Amino acid sequence: MRRILAQARKELIQIARDWRTLGLALALPLVLLLLMSTAISFTVNDLPLVVQDYDNSPSSRAFIDAFQASNTFRIVTWPVVSHAEDPLIANAARAVLIIPLHFGRDMDRGVETPVQLIVDASDANTAKIVSGYAARITAAYNQQLSGGSGQGPVLSAIRLWYNPGLSSKKFYGPGVFVLGLSMFPPLLAALAMAKEGEQKTILQVYVSNVSAHEFLLGKILAFVVVALAECVLMLILLFTYFGLTFVGDPTPFLVSTVLYAFCVAAFGTMVGATIPNQAAAMQAVALGGFLLVFLLSGLIFPIDNIPPSIRWLSNIVWGRYYIEVVRDALLQGGGWPAVWLNVWIIGGIGMIFYLIGWKNMRRMQLRA
Amino acid sequence: MKKFFDRIFNYRVRALIRKEFNQIRRDRRLAISLILPPVVQLTLFGFALSANVTNLRMGIVDESHTPESRELVANLTESKSFRLSGYYFSADQLGQAISEGRVETGVVIPYDYARDLSRGRTTTVQVLLNAMNTNTATIGQGYAEGVIQSYNATLRSQGVETIVRPVSAANGGHHGRISLQPAFLYNPGLVDSWFTVTGVFGLLLILNSSIVSSASMVKEREAGTIEQLLMSPATTTEIIIAKMSPLFVLLSLMMAAALVVLKIVFDVPFQGSVLYLLAGGALCILSGISMGTVIATFSKSAMQAMLTSFFVNPPLSSLSGALNPIEAMPAWLQPLTVLNPVHHFAAIVRASMMKGSGITSLWPNFLGLGIFTFVLVSLSVWRFRKQLS
Repeated sequence: MRRILAQARKELIQIARDWRTLGLALALPLVLLLLMSTAISFTVNDLPLVVQDYDNSPSSRAFIDAFQASNTFRIVTWPVVSHAEDPLIANAARAVLIIPLHFGRDMDRGVETPVQLIVDASDANTAKIVSGYAARITAAYNQQLSGGSGQGPVLSAIRLWYNPGLSSKKFYGPGVFVLGLSMFPPLLAALAMAKEGEQKTILQVYVSNVSAHEFLLGKILAFVVVALAECVLMLILLFTYFGLTFVGDPTPFLVSTVLYAFCVAAFGTMVGATIPNQAAAMQAVALGGFLLVFLLSGLIFPIDNIPPSIRWLSNIVWGRYYIEVVRDALLQGGGWPAVWLNVWIIGGIGMIFYLIGWKNMRRMQLRA
Repeated sequence: MKKFFDRIFNYRVRALIRKEFNQIRRDRRLAISLILPPVVQLTLFGFALSANVTNLRMGIVDESHTPESRELVANLTESKSFRLSGYYFSADQLGQAISEGRVETGVVIPYDYARDLSRGRTTTVQVLLNAMNTNTATIGQGYAEGVIQSYNATLRSQGVETIVRPVSAANGGHHGRISLQPAFLYNPGLVDSWFTVTGVFGLLLILNSSIVSSASMVKEREAGTIEQLLMSPATTTEIIIAKMSPLFVLLSLMMAAALVVLKIVFDVPFQGSVLYLLAGGALCILSGISMGTVIATFSKSAMQAMLTSFFVNPPLSSLSGALNPIEAMPAWLQPLTVLNPVHHFAAIVRASMMKGSGITSLWPNFLGLGIFTFVLVSLSVWRFRKQLS
């Protein structure tokens, strides 16, 4: 135990001496968190919309006012004589609303009057949102015209749970928090371990009376400390700027955070022990820590969307299980019944990393 | 023109270029690591990042237990958007299931549902959505409303509304209804991956060119041969041109490989001129290379260069509108995209591939990309000599 602590202390001193590494370790996660969670968002408003009003009657203008009044659309002026496709080609608008001639007349007659919405679908997701919003505005306008009770016999009362304001910051914040934890501590751990192999200092460890387990545990402990420090800093940001709090029982979160810190630190040491070359180890961590967690953990889009041929990969991505725990703790509040399995899996994957790292470390001697 | 080229590519530059090519040729790993990973990454990103909202698991609480309520459930779950996951006995149980993540949405049909319908009263159905994922929730909400609206339309045609109408006609005037008819241009099948891969394309170009060039530029410094290079009769500009040429050739090959993936794996349509695409790509690669060079001049080792690019690349990629719409960014960040090469390139790729836009609408993006590239190349030439002090 004493030797483990000594090893961890030595490692922490080494990190603290290199200001660039220390900056990377502590500041970059915060920068990443602020930047990515404000930038990754799909809730659009202020979408530029061109209206081509061929009717130009009071009723067509009233309909346009309904669009103008919404938060979602911003009406862009564009000459009516032009081709409807032009503003889309010029990237000046997301959609074009075309109101036909005799719109007002048809409305007064009480006929169903078609209005066309041409949507730029080169961004398919935004196109869906645009047409959804437009349909909703039209439906509300119809309802208003017919005096409020003209809506269909069935009314839907939609409740948005856990994030009623549809704040994407609150959804992506916890995800990026996990991404930061999965990226930086293992990066540092892998570099430190690969350095021992590169500079042959690992040989000194072999001749000392430190056992492989003690050496590895000491290293991992140091990076667990780093990970937990990052975690505290990022949590402060999540609680203040992002306005999140623990909504339920925080114990599953606390337990799995410690386990996850162990898991990522063990992953980094494993990579460093397996690939004793700093540049190559860095690439391996970038692949495992960043790419896999970024793409296959449900950070941005639900895992169910991934085609089955590569979806199975997400079962072995450790970040996936932790993201579920974090989102549960900060948004849903399901507590232990919802996430107990995840906590076990995180611990299990961490143990596997540790054992592989331990096995490879014994081989490091042969190569050094 | 020929004279111009002769002046730029004079015998010194040619000799230096040959030296760089020889160096790169010996480094097989670099060539392979330049072509292969981007292709894999592009494929992975394209498949994994799909915003498609389908098969949302739906839980039902049917307190009405009537043919009418079962019809509503069938209407909701037979679409591709929702999948029936199970029935629950009470709203509390359903809430529990949502909070544990077993279902994503729930519908509660009240006990007087069928009775109200038959009497011509308006009845309210509660729809619960797990809004944790805002994108899924926004689109799911649209779907649910759409299904219920079309269900209303069927009911109306069956005559249910004839009972409702007289009430509304009493206070409203005689008014028609607007029917909105959306048409989706350029991507009528709403394929998500087209947007993702065209964005990732630019990201990969910038990312790889900056990393590779910073690694290869800093190598000269690590090995201590940079003094020899600067002592040679060649000017800094000539050295930089020579250093950039082989990387440029390799990265162009990578761009070609990525284009093949775009076309064959993802079947992105090709409406416009390839010329714009290649010109934009070339500018993008050049600005990436010079960005890497600038990073390299600030670093003492390959390690530091790598770490610095970790600082530079995330903001560049996340604030570009390459992976998500620019309108979704905070308003004060939106103007900053003008300074972002990834943004301009993504705009060029999307417009020229999918919409077939010409130079008349693309010139601002080319201008932005061109200025950015010019400034960075000049900066790298200036920094290259400075780095020794």
